[in-house]
Amino acid sequence: MLWTWGSGPPHAWRGRSGRLLAARAGLILWPLGVWKPSFGSGAATPCQSAERRLNAIVNPLLLYVGLAVGAVGVLMALPRRKVNPQIIGAVIAAAALGGVILHLGLRAADAGQMPNINFYLFAGIAILAGLRVVTHQRPVYSALFFILTVLSSAAMYVMLGAEFLAFALIIIYAGAILITYLFVIMLATQAPSEEEVEALSPYDAEARDPVMATAMGFLLLAGLTGMLAQGVGSLDPAGSAGEQQAIVAHLPGKVMRDLNARGVFDGLEKPAEEKLHEHWDVSAGTVTLRVTDRAALEQSMANERVAELVSDGGGEEVVVHLPSNLKASNIDGVGWALIAGHPMSLELAGVVLLMAMLGAVVLARKQVELGEAAKARAVQFLHAEEED
Amino acid sequence: MLINLLASHAAPQLHAAIEGGLGAITLYHYLFVAMVMFALGVIGFLARRNLIIMFLSTELMFQGAGLALIAFSRYHFNHTGEVFVIFVLTVAAAEAALALALVVLLFRQRESLDAQEWSSLQG
Repeated sequence: MLWTWGSGPPHAWRGRSGRLLAARAGLILWPLGVWKPSFGSGAATPCQSAERRLNAIVNPLLLYVGLAVGAVGVLMALPRRKVNPQIIGAVIAAAALGGVILHLGLRAADAGQMPNINFYLFAGIAILAGLRVVTHQRPVYSALFFILTVLSSAAMYVMLGAEFLAFALIIIYAGAILITYLFVIMLATQAPSEEEVEALSPYDAEARDPVMATAMGFLLLAGLTGMLAQGVGSLDPAGSAGEQQAIVAHLPGKVMRDLNARGVFDGLEKPAEEKLHEHWDVSAGTVTLRVTDRAALEQSMANERVAELVSDGGGEEVVVHLPSNLKASNIDGVGWALIAGHPMSLELAGVVLLMAMLGAVVLARKQVELGEAAKARAVQFLHAEEED
Repeated sequence: MLINLLASHAAPQLHAAIEGGLGAITLYHYLFVAMVMFALGVIGFLARRNLIIMFLSTELMFQGAGLALIAFSRYHFNHTGEVFVIFVLTVAAAEAALALALVVLLFRQRESLDAQEWSSLQG
């Protein structure tokens, strides 16, 4: 039913039909959203500027009420010994936090720029799974829910245009780190005896100071969300062309491969990758190449895709316009930023990982105490090996 | 399908609004999700007694920080935020290896994962 909580310009949902829908959905939070109808200066007119006030997209009252209800829900969801209304708590917390998120969407002024349903879906999954990570009584389930959080985070990374990091996250987090966690959980759990299969460890069954912890966490959250009241920006859909050009200018190999795949080099002198910049006007986006075989060039110019890139004046040299879809991809950008911008950090990251691996081996190594008889047997065994 | 079904019953102007999605996603939306994940991690770290769950909660905080970094990276149209996330991943992996080795070590000593077993370490 929540999907019917449609968006768009607020006047669309503030009217009679909005109230009807609210009554149908039976959502308690609804009146709070319309409590101050004149809130948010640019709510009725689409806000085109990059800078927006927080008030334009979220009602602070609803935000804080939602956070308070969420805190109560998380508090109820945390494990405790006696009565355990965990499911109710989880539902309350999820409904409150989801309500705040949906309210953000309702207050967003201009509709239909990005595939938004996906964001709400994955944000909801991430928060719900994160809630279960911290509240589930069985550590294995916590770890599995954390994998769900990682997967939905990766989906949000994809929506933010960070494909490389999304897949790196799945491989490293879900594939490596969480598997280590699962192994350790299985290693470091007492095996239940035959008759008490369902027994929980006392330290899993009960939270420590749940009230204080939840209060602290949600005060932090309220503080953080309040900090953003200074104004936040929208995410412009298009990347900056200049930045793209600047990255492509560092990637002669990519340009050469692309031009080669399009068959542009037929009848033209093909420069070496490291010499390409001598022929390349980066700001104009053109490469000037010498003609070696005019017949071959004219033959390749018959191809439409080549002809629209190469402008042949009949002279010794032709100007090749770089194709408009030759852009730096996300991986190109991250790789360039990583190697050119932070090479020392990259080396240090390798050292950190190596030291962590050594440290883990040293820490977790089991000291084996051998008795005298066992030592004598081991010595005999080693001697026998040597004689073979 | 469900959305279409519901939308066809709604008022006409609402129908248009639903087809357009739920409004534009701003930086704020991603930051809100990141902050909720971070706060949940804080709550888990403070409230849970199992050492492994406490470290899992720190991983949840890493996730929140990473999402915020990626969102800012997208907002400013550069890749520095993404590079930082690579380092966050590195530190998370190193931390997981060391922390879990320590957890295994502690578990061997007391046969328990309760953080309060080790309150004598407070000095």
